Amino acid sequence: MSAEAADAPHAPAKTNSALLRIAGGPLVAPVLTRVVAMMLARADCPVDRLDDAMLICDALSAHAPALAADGNLAVTILTDGGGMTLRIGALRPGGGERLRRASTLPGVGSVLESIADELRVEASAEDGEELILDLHFAAAEGDRQPAGSPESR
Amino acid sequence: MTANMELALPARAENIAIVRHALGALGDACGVGEPALSDIRLAVTEACTNVVIHAYAADQEGPLEVSATVAGEKLTVIVKDHGPGITPRPDSPGLGLGLPLIASLADAVSLGHDEQGRTAVRMDFSIARGGEGGHGGEGGGEGGGGEPAGAAL
Repeated sequence: MSAEAADAPHAPAKTNSALLRIAGGPLVAPVLTRVVAMMLARADCPVDRLDDAMLICDALSAHAPALAADGNLAVTILTDGGGMTLRIGALRPGGGERLRRASTLPGVGSVLESIADELRVEASAEDGEELILDLHFAAAEGDRQPAGSPESR
Repeated sequence: MTANMELALPARAENIAIVRHALGALGDACGVGEPALSDIRLAVTEACTNVVIHAYAADQEGPLEVSATVAGEKLTVIVKDHGPGITPRPDSPGLGLGLPLIASLADAVSLGHDEQGRTAVRMDFSIARGGEGGHGGEGGGEGGGGEPAGAAL
């Protein structure tokens, strides 16, 4: 397969993004986990990191809506072939740190901090805060070669 | 029960699956019966496919925006794009079945623009909680006339 063919428009793009806003309540956990799982699957995320991401989604679903500025969970999800970034917010002032602490489990510490490769809080444009999580992964080995490439035959 | 979500993604074919999964999660969380949920997913898939195929020029990428609101026994899904609007297209690659299919599956459909000028397809569905419903099953109704989509028992 030529390089042009590998870059053909029908080939799934490795970089993707989604803005998800969910009203606090019973929709948060199921919708967030499914959207994140689908985006990670598209990004060739290996299953161990997919499992890690689901733990992050569970922690966010449990605690983030109560800390959101408007009671709705807003998450921007960015994926590429090497990882995922989640931007959660706008949170109320101090919400980022409270969200990090709220995910603490006895003997484990902060679930978010333990799993994410990077965790930081930034001011948002709406007088609030955003919690930003980076999750790195190497794309699943078997999916690195485009189907039909000479290396995959 | 009132619940809602908003999802914005690049208008790419592979992202329609993410919308379908998000709607599936919403339906499961709200107790929507599988026949009705299948109809809803199919109608929304058609609307999203229209955005991917028709809303933007081949060399452009724009957003696909989906919102869903459950209020009582009614689900409203609005699919939006930033394209020029719904106009006749003699060179359309499709069969032209998308909108008629949506009309047959939803209780009500409206095409137009929102207050920001975005093209919007609004679909209303009656949802049968936790059981039967939908037009696709045996004995399904014809839709329209204000009858609930899940009236078939």
